[in-house]
Amino acid sequence: MKRKTFLSGLLEYGGLVLVLVLLVSVFSLATDHFLQWQRLQIIANQMPVPIMVAVGMTFVLIIGGIDLSVGSLVALSSAMFGLVITNWGGNVWMAVPLCILVGTLCGLINGTISVAFRIPAFIVTLGMLELARGATKVATDSRSIYLGKTVEGLDAPLPWLGLSPAILLALATVIIGQLVLTRTVFGRYCIAIGTNEETVRMSGVSTKPYRIAVFAGSGFLCALAGWAYVAKHQTVDPNAATGIELAAIAACVIGGTSLMGGRGNVVCTFIGVVIISVLQSGLAQMGVPDAGKQMITGLVIIVAALIDVIRIRLTGGKTQ
Amino acid sequence: MKKLIVGLLLTLVSIGGCGENASPDNSANNNGSDQKPKVALIMKSLANEFFSTMANGAEQHQSENAAQYDLIVNGIKDERDLSRQVALVEEMVSAGVQAIVIAPADSKALVPALRRASEAGIIVVNIDNRLDRNILAQENLTIPFVGPDNKAGAQKVGKALAEKLKKGDGVLILEGIRTSFNAQQRREGFQQAMDQAGITIIDSQSADWEMSTANTIAAAMLSEHPDAKAILAANDSMALGALSAAKSAGREKDLLIVGFDNISAIQQALNDGRVLATADQHGDQLAVFGIEAALKLIADPESTAEDVETPVDLITAESLPQ
Repeated sequence: MKRKTFLSGLLEYGGLVLVLVLLVSVFSLATDHFLQWQRLQIIANQMPVPIMVAVGMTFVLIIGGIDLSVGSLVALSSAMFGLVITNWGGNVWMAVPLCILVGTLCGLINGTISVAFRIPAFIVTLGMLELARGATKVATDSRSIYLGKTVEGLDAPLPWLGLSPAILLALATVIIGQLVLTRTVFGRYCIAIGTNEETVRMSGVSTKPYRIAVFAGSGFLCALAGWAYVAKHQTVDPNAATGIELAAIAACVIGGTSLMGGRGNVVCTFIGVVIISVLQSGLAQMGVPDAGKQMITGLVIIVAALIDVIRIRLTGGKTQ
Repeated sequence: MKKLIVGLLLTLVSIGGCGENASPDNSANNNGSDQKPKVALIMKSLANEFFSTMANGAEQHQSENAAQYDLIVNGIKDERDLSRQVALVEEMVSAGVQAIVIAPADSKALVPALRRASEAGIIVVNIDNRLDRNILAQENLTIPFVGPDNKAGAQKVGKALAEKLKKGDGVLILEGIRTSFNAQQRREGFQQAMDQAGITIIDSQSADWEMSTANTIAAAMLSEHPDAKAILAANDSMALGALSAAKSAGREKDLLIVGFDNISAIQQALNDGRVLATADQHGDQLAVFGIEAALKLIADPESTAEDVETPVDLITAESLPQ
C-alpha cells in the first residue's frame, strides 16, 4: 500500500521535478556559481510573491474561474501598506491588517459581483485589474515611495536558515492550500463545482458562497504577496507585479491545473512557480540576451505542459 | 478625485474634438489670433513617476500662464502601447490643437502620425525621447527636439562612480528596454565613462526599467560575478531593485550602486548612503521647455525650429538638500 502511494506520488510530481532537475543541471553546468546554497537561498527568497499569487489562482482556476486582477491587487494592497506608514504615521503592525483587508475586500467584490450577477469572472476581474491599478496610482500619486528598513521584517533572512519569513509564509500557503484542497469539504466542493456546477447545485448545495470565498481567498493571498513585495524592496512601487497574472496562470497550467476547471494541485502549481523562477534567474546568470530569454521561457512553458499531459495519459487520466 | 474629474473632462474633450472634425469650428481654431492657442501634451505612461512629474510641471506652468495658452495632457497606459499613442496624436489633430508636444513611446513608429499632424498645419515639438533622425530626413520633416542629453548625463553618473573605483575593477550594468533610444544613450554614456576610467564592464543586461525584474537580474549577475564592485542602473527603479539584490547577496555595505532620474524614492537611499549617485534631468521642466518652444513657434511661424538641449545634473548625497 505504502509502495503504491510512493509510486503514484512519483508519477504525480515526477514530470515537473524532472523538468526542474534538468533546468538546475543545465544552469549548474553553464555557470560558475549556480548550484550553491547561498545562490539557491537568494532565488528562493525572490519567490514569495509569485507563489502566493499562484496558490490563489489555482483555486480560482479549479472552480472554472479566472482572476486577472491579481497583479493590481498586489500593487493596491502594498500601496495601502505604504500609506499607513508614510501618511498616517503607523507602524508595520497597523499596516499589515489594512493591507490584507484591502486585498481581501477587492477579491470579495470580484467574487460577489461575478456570482450575484452571473457576469463572467474574466470581465469582472479585468475591470478590477484596471480599477485597482488606477486606485494604486491615485494612492501613490504614481510615484514609488521609499519606506526604509523598518518594513524589512518579512524579507530579512533568518540567520540560522538563510531563508526569509516571506518564503516560509509562502510555503505555508502552499501546504495549507493543498490540505484545504484535498482534505476538506470545501476543497472537494471546489473541484466538484469546476467539474460540473449543475450537479453540485442539484444535489442541494448552494455553490455561490464557495465561489465567492475562492475569489476572496485569491485577494487575501495577493495582499500577503503585496506585503512581501514591500518588504523585499522597502519601497511601494505603483507598477508592482504588472503582468503577474499571466505568470501565475502559466505556473498553474505547467502544474497541470485545467483552465476549464475541476482539476488542479497546489503543490504542482508551486513547482510550476519554481520552474519559472529558476528559469528567469538561471538565464540572467548565464547572460542570455533578452530575445533568447523570452524564447526559452516560452519553450519551457510549452514543454512542461506537454510533459504533464503525457504524465496524465500514463496514469490513465487519474489527475488528482 | 481631482484626477478622476480631469480624466472625465479629457475624455469629453477628445470626444467633442472628434465631433468637431467636420464642423466649421475647426477653421476658427486654426486662425488662433483672436483666441489663445491650445497645446496638446502627449506623454508616455503616466504611471511612470518620471512622466507624471513632467505632466505635473506642465500643468503648473499652464495654470501660471493661463492667459497665454490652454493645455490638454494625455498619456498612455503602458509604455509600449504605441498604437494608443498614435491614436492620441490623431485625436489631438481632430480636436483642433495648434501644437503637439510629444514624448514618443517609440523613436520611429510615431513619425508617420506626426507627419500627418505636421501636414495639417500643427506645430510638433519632440521631447524626452528623440525621434530617429534618419527617418525624419527620409520623411522630409523637421521636428525640433527639446530635451536632455542622456548620454552626457549617464557619463556624469559613470564618472562619479569611477572616482570611487580603481582601474581594472569590474562593474555590472542594468539597461532599460533596449529598443528605446534613452536606454541606448544611457548605456553608451555608462560605457564611455567606464572605458575612460579603465574599468571593465563584466556583464550588461536589460531589466526593462522595472524594479522586480532588476532585482532578479542583479541577483543573478552578482552571484555569477561576485568580484563586481558596482552596478550602474539606467533608471532609479532598477537601482532600487539592485539595492534589494545587493542586500540579499550580503553586499549591501561594499557594492556601489548608481541610478538615473532622481525620483523621490531614491533620494532617501542617497541620504542613507545606499546609493552613490543619480542624474536629474529636471523632469518637471522638460515638458515646459517643450511647450515654450511650441508657443514660440506659434507666435512666430517664420522662425526656424531649433533643437534645445536641457540640463542634466549629477545628484549625490552632498548635493541633496538635507
